[in-house]
Amino acid sequence: MQPLYIIILGSLIASCCALLGCFLLLRKMTMLGDAIAHAVLPGIVISYIVSGERDHTAMLIGATVAGLLTTFSIEFLSKKIKLQQDAATGVMFTGFFAIGVILISLFANKIDLDQDCVLYGEIGYLGLYNDAFIPIEIWRMLIILGLIITFIVLGYRQLLMTTFDLAFASSVGIMGALWQYLLMGFVSLTTVASFESVGSILVVSFLIIPPAAAYLITHSLQRMLIYACLIGIIGAISGYYLAVFLDSAIAAAMSVACGVELILIFIYVKLWKERVLSKAVY
Amino acid sequence: MRTKAFLFLTFLLFNTVSCNQNAKEKSNRLYIIATTNIVADAVKQIVGERAEVISLMGAGVDPHLYKVSQGDIQKLSEADIIVSNGLHLEGRMNEVFDRLQNKTIIKLSDGAEPDKLLQINQQNYDPHFWFDVMIWKSAIIYLSKQLMSIDTANAEFYQNNTKQYITKLDILHHWINEQYSKVVPQKRILITAHDAFSYYGKAYQLEVLSLQGISTLSDFGLNDIDRLTHTITSRKVKSIFVETSISSKTIESIVENCNRKNHLVSIGGSLYSDALGTSDSETGTYIGMLKYNTQTIAQAIK
Repeated sequence: MQPLYIIILGSLIASCCALLGCFLLLRKMTMLGDAIAHAVLPGIVISYIVSGERDHTAMLIGATVAGLLTTFSIEFLSKKIKLQQDAATGVMFTGFFAIGVILISLFANKIDLDQDCVLYGEIGYLGLYNDAFIPIEIWRMLIILGLIITFIVLGYRQLLMTTFDLAFASSVGIMGALWQYLLMGFVSLTTVASFESVGSILVVSFLIIPPAAAYLITHSLQRMLIYACLIGIIGAISGYYLAVFLDSAIAAAMSVACGVELILIFIYVKLWKERVLSKAVY
Repeated sequence: MRTKAFLFLTFLLFNTVSCNQNAKEKSNRLYIIATTNIVADAVKQIVGERAEVISLMGAGVDPHLYKVSQGDIQKLSEADIIVSNGLHLEGRMNEVFDRLQNKTIIKLSDGAEPDKLLQINQQNYDPHFWFDVMIWKSAIIYLSKQLMSIDTANAEFYQNNTKQYITKLDILHHWINEQYSKVVPQKRILITAHDAFSYYGKAYQLEVLSLQGISTLSDFGLNDIDRLTHTITSRKVKSIFVETSISSKTIESIVENCNRKNHLVSIGGSLYSDALGTSDSETGTYIGMLKYNTQTIAQAIK
């Protein structure tokens, strides 16, 4: 039993998702993770039809392509056709998912083929690999985390400006669309890779809850990124122990732990603010 | 603030490492984990009380929708042997098993003769092969050989148990055929919610039709409902069946559809497909489950 691997992978995914989630939250598009979780279905089915087998590398490639296509088409719909961002998200992911279901009933209805059984991983299985080598899932997320951090450090100014004031950003010569597409690309890459190792619920909650909680306690983007990572990591660690205590599914317990953190932070902020206010009265 | 948080994190990490130390006391009995309770039953028939057998999925669980808990991971990591059904029944779990180098993994599907398995396309097979008693028999023989080579001290005991059990399986096979010999070929039609009974149909000469594909996610189309309703009315089918591990709503809608067309069809009973019943009931063993299914079907379609 190697709980250390589980906690490390949980923390890595929490950090990746929390970092990207901060930008998604500020751009009001947090449901993108959930959208990608559904929209990968046609990618899986098509790569099954092409390759004829349920090998997970093929599934991963198909899912990544479908994820990228979804995010790009959401961008396209909202920018070029001026559809509201949330509506564009709704249109694209239901559309992709529906195409996937149709493809299954046309070509693969004799076979067990859906995200749950061919793509989504289970974080708990990491506890079984007690060989000397660090599991590939951890290496993969480590590389992705490195890429994300490099991306944010190098493009911090551009990301900041396109997030808060797109008009100003373009007036000083920053290509808003380019940065948006890069960010979306990272989001779909991260989510698909994380789905493959831990399943969807954990990824969706890591994308939303830590940034939302961090947003409550700070108004500086830099601090928000750091706090979100910390909140995500604490959620991953305490979630693991919650799962041990309750003997439940690990990914779900980690999500619940993040939710509890959010509530605690909310209560803290409420009390603190009220104290400040009551002091101000006197 | 930052240093405090850092200290807290390192404290938690150290905690996890120290948790690792308290290893389980091991008895000298083998600790065998089976994925479904159908597989667990097969193992129990061979090892009896000489090994501890635990099934991950309990009664009435749909293996396609199963999620492991922390405790299951613990059990798997302590197991000496893991026995699975194979052929993608357990989803990605088998992929995980393939990566475990320090464990003995036995896949029952490896014991089935490849030409007897129902092929879906080049690389994929229907995993519900336990419904053909003869294929299950060869899987049991394979399992017993594997167990005997691991647990040499109890090999003789296992061999005796296997011999006795195989005779029982032969009797069961014969018994099932006998039950259906009383049904005229025209009426030998089995309609269920999902595609679990292909092997059963092939082995015991029943025509099997189902509403859903193998995956419990793939939805049925309008044509599927029409097609089934048409078959039921034109061939005057009396009963169709629901499954214990799957919602009965879809099948109920077919019944309603047929009744509206003035053809009376009823639900002939609830069949066990992907999981056995609870261990204290009669359907808690493989033989009991097949007997129950056969009786239910044979009586209802007569």
